[in-house]
Amino acid sequence: MINTSSIFAVIPCYNEAGVIRQTVEEVMASGYSVIVVDDCSADETAKQVIGLPVFYIKHKINLGQGAALQTGIDAALKKGADVIVSFDADGQHDIDDIAGMLKKLETEKLDIVFGSRFLPGSKTNISSMRKLLLKLGRLMNYFFTGILLSDAHNGLRVMNRHAASVIRLRENRMAHATEFLKEVKRNRLRYAEFPVHIRYTGYSIKKGQSPLNSVRIFFDILLNKIFD
Amino acid sequence: MSIIQVALTVAVILIGIYMYRRLRSTLLDVILIFLFMGAGVFLVLFPDFSHKIAHAVGVGRGADLIFYLGFLFLFFLVLKLYARLRRMEQTFTEIVRKKSMEEAEDRLPQDH
Repeated sequence: MINTSSIFAVIPCYNEAGVIRQTVEEVMASGYSVIVVDDCSADETAKQVIGLPVFYIKHKINLGQGAALQTGIDAALKKGADVIVSFDADGQHDIDDIAGMLKKLETEKLDIVFGSRFLPGSKTNISSMRKLLLKLGRLMNYFFTGILLSDAHNGLRVMNRHAASVIRLRENRMAHATEFLKEVKRNRLRYAEFPVHIRYTGYSIKKGQSPLNSVRIFFDILLNKIFD
Repeated sequence: MSIIQVALTVAVILIGIYMYRRLRSTLLDVILIFLFMGAGVFLVLFPDFSHKIAHAVGVGRGADLIFYLGFLFLFFLVLKLYARLRRMEQTFTEIVRKKSMEEAEDRLPQDH
């Protein structure tokens, strides 16, 4: 069994002052080490985590969620993490899902486990519009990477040290979700999905991706395909 | 010489001079600039020449041929610029990341 303090949760955040403290405290309560990557928030996100025993990194310039995740992964590796969890700041994830994902990672000797909203056992109050977009997104991911998952853009992932050190995210913004799959393929990582619970709240919907943003993500993925 | 020919000739020469002033770093640059400038002026002054080439490759008018080639060239340029933009973004991401790491606040409990 892995020591829980060598399990690092990387929480990228951008203007999440309203929820970040609660999210971080929830993760810490489970014994995991927390790395907060503040992507140059303009609000009081930094103040909210003052005094919490976390590893706090602040980008000097807003770079995007993909870049923040990579920064957090680098930091976790440096701190000697055995397992790295990516966790959204906005309170959508259920902390209890991590334990199940860890167990799957260990027992099935996987490199990375992706959270999914659309497997038997998943629970989510997703809107039908978002659901449709994610269904399209998963097909697009399959088209670009050859990996077909049931979910396209789930912020909850659990990976071992090996996966974290070979995966290199170069898409600074939201196309990193597809890049994870590309890196899995490129490095022949062993992967699986795990049903998770995503609670959409008024806050998380307001803060999250707008449906229109999927067009931008599509172009980022397309350009990534052309230029890499 | 028609008005458009005068305007285009002046424009090509001005652009040529501008490029020369900015890029006169190597002999090759200078030769290329004058070559392009000369070709531009020549095509403006003797449009029949581009007609002949256009006909030879199956395009109706010389202006059309130049439009097609110009469009391709611009498209190529956009792609090159975009590739450079991506490289630049990756470079400054690495710089910001490094700097942020150096100034990170490590408040993790020291029990492991």
